[in-house]
Amino acid sequence: MSDLDTRERVLQGTAPGEGLAIELIGDGDLVTADMSLSIGPAHPATHGVFRIVFEMDGERIVRARPVIGYMHRGFEKLAEHRDYRQIMALVNRHDWLSGFANELGVALAVEQMLEMEVPERAQWIRMLMAEWNRVLNHLMFIGSYALELGAITPMFYAFREREDIQHLLEAATGGRLHFTYNQVGGVKIDLPAGFLRESERLVGVMRQRMPDYFDLVHGNEIFRGRTVNVGPLPVDVATSIGVTGPALQATGLAEDARVTEPYLQYDKVEVEVPVGANGDAFDRFDVLLRRIVASIDVIDQIHGHIGAGPVNQKLPKMVKAPEGWTYVRTENPLGQLGYWLESDGGRTPWRLKMRTPSFSNVQAIPYLVEGQLLADAISILGSVFFVVGDIDR
Amino acid sequence: MSVLARRDRALTPDETEALLRDRLGDGIVGATLAHRTFTLHVAPSAWVEVHRRCRDEDLLDMDLFDSLFGVDAGDDGFDVVTVLYSTSTGNRLCLRTRCEGGREAPVCPSVTDVYRGADWMERETWDMYGIEFPGHPGLEPRILTVENFEGWPLRKDFHLTSRVVKPWPGVKEPAELDEDGNVIEREAGVGDAPGPYALDEAMAKQALERRRAAEEALAAAAGNAAAVEVGDGPAADAPTSEPEGDA
Repeated sequence: MSDLDTRERVLQGTAPGEGLAIELIGDGDLVTADMSLSIGPAHPATHGVFRIVFEMDGERIVRARPVIGYMHRGFEKLAEHRDYRQIMALVNRHDWLSGFANELGVALAVEQMLEMEVPERAQWIRMLMAEWNRVLNHLMFIGSYALELGAITPMFYAFREREDIQHLLEAATGGRLHFTYNQVGGVKIDLPAGFLRESERLVGVMRQRMPDYFDLVHGNEIFRGRTVNVGPLPVDVATSIGVTGPALQATGLAEDARVTEPYLQYDKVEVEVPVGANGDAFDRFDVLLRRIVASIDVIDQIHGHIGAGPVNQKLPKMVKAPEGWTYVRTENPLGQLGYWLESDGGRTPWRLKMRTPSFSNVQAIPYLVEGQLLADAISILGSVFFVVGDIDR
Repeated sequence: MSVLARRDRALTPDETEALLRDRLGDGIVGATLAHRTFTLHVAPSAWVEVHRRCRDEDLLDMDLFDSLFGVDAGDDGFDVVTVLYSTSTGNRLCLRTRCEGGREAPVCPSVTDVYRGADWMERETWDMYGIEFPGHPGLEPRILTVENFEGWPLRKDFHLTSRVVKPWPGVKEPAELDEDGNVIEREAGVGDAPGPYALDEAMAKQALERRRAAEEALAAAAGNAAAVEVGDGPAADAPTSEPEGDA
C-alpha cells in the first residue's frame, strides 16, 4: 500500500465539522527503528573535543559509545624523553583546570623515590596552592554545568570569583593555567609579600558568597527537576569502574586521598569530605559545591600553620631517580590522580603512567545514560565533571 | 560500607602475600616493597584469578579498580601492571605480570570480567603496546590514537619523531664559515656597532680595547707556557647532555 493510498484511507469519510477519522495502522507497540545519534566532537556540552554516539530508540538511549582520543598528545611518551624539571611543565597541561595539582603528583613521586625531605614551609605552600586550585576548578564546573542546563547567571558569578583567585595565584606563580610552580624538593620561589593577607581576604569573600551559590542551585526548581534522580550511580559500580572524586563521593563513599592517605601535611588539618546519598546528578553537583566550602576551611587552617623557612633546596644539576618504581596518588579536583613512575636510574623516567580521574570517570557514562532520555544525557554528561585533555592525555 | 571502617584490620604486605600464596600457590612469583609501593609479581596463568581473589577475599576487599597499564620490559617483552585499592582498609596493591609471547606477540588475559574499569584501560594498553587481551569484549577501534595509526607508540623501539637527530642544515652562527669551510675572522670595528648613537660607538670601542688586551695577555701566557712546557688542561665542564631537539 503506497503512502498516498494510506492517506486517502485515513482521511476519507468524515462530514465537514466532524473532524478527521484517524485510524491507527498496525497494532501493539509503535515500532521505531534504532537510530544512531552522534554528539560531538565539537559540542558545547562536551567541554572540548569529545564525541559520544547514542543508539536511540525514540527518545530513549539504548546504548552509548564515547569516542575519545581527539586530544591525545602522547604525554606519556613525551615524558620518557624529558628530565624531571621539564616534566613539570608538561604534566600541568593534561588537565588544564588543575595545573598545580597535576605538577604536585610528579614532584611527590620523584621525592618519594629519592626519599627527599621537603621543607615544611614548601609543603604548606603546596597545600595552599592546591586548595585554591581546587576552588578554581570547581567554580568553573559550577558555572559551566548550570550553563548547560540553561542557567546563565552562575557562570557570571563563578567567573567573578575565579578572576580574584587567578590574580592571587598569578602573583605567586606568574601563570594563570600552567603554573609550573612545583619543583622537585619544594616550590620554585617564595610567596610574594602580602600574598597571605590577600589569601585571607579571599577566604572571607568566598565564605560570604558561597550561600548565593547554594541558593542559586538548591532553590532552583528547574535545576532540581533536571538533576534529581537523573543518572544515579551505585557505589559498587562506581568503584569497579574506578570512578573517584565528586562522582564517587556523591554515591555516599567518603573516599578522599587527603584523608585516607594523607600526603604533604594534610594529616595536620581537618578535611571535611562531603558525601551524597543517591549518587545522582544533583548529588554530584551538590558534593562539588560543598567541596568548595571544605577547601575554603582547609585554606583557613593552612594560614595558621604556614611558618617561616626555606621553600626549596639545592638540587644536583641533573635529578636522577633511583632504579625501581613508585605509585603516588593525590586528590585532584576531579578525582584521584595517580602517577606510576618507573625509573632505570637515568635522567628521564622509563615509564610515567598518568592515571587521570577523567579517563576513569568518563568510562561510567555508558552505564549512566543507558535507558535515560536524550534530554537527560546532557545533564548526566555535565555532572560527571571531566576535562577532555585529562581523558586523552 | 563506609570508608576506612576496617583500617585497623588491614593486612600488612607480608600477610597479603602469604594469603595470596596460600590461595594461588605458584601463581605468585615474587613480591617487592620499595619506594613505599608494594608489588606482587604474578604468573600470567593466575592473572585473572588473583584479581578475583583480591576483590572477593573478605580480608583484602580490593574494591576500587585504580588502573591498568603496560610497561616496556626491554628484551623480555612487556609487563602489565594493575593498581588496586581497598576503600575499607586503605591498602593498595600493585600486581605485575610478564606477558607471554615476548616482544613479537604479547598476550595477557583480560580482567574485564572482574573489574568493569579494565575495559578502557586494556584498550589503551593494546593501543599503546600492542598487547592482546583474550577475553576482552573488543579492543578495536584504537582508543586514543587515530584509527589508521600504525605501530605501537609506547614501545621503546617506536621512536619519537621529534627526537630523531637531524643535522642542522647550515652553520649555527651566520657567517662563521665561508664557502670553503674556513673560519671567518672578523674584528669588531667602530662602524660595525648598530645604530648611530654615541653610546654604541663608545661600547664598540671598549669592546675592541678589551679584546686587544685579552689577545696580548694570551700571547704572553702562551710564550710562558711554551717555556715551562705545560699542556692544555681538559676543557672545563664540557656539556655532556644530548642535544635537546624540541624542548
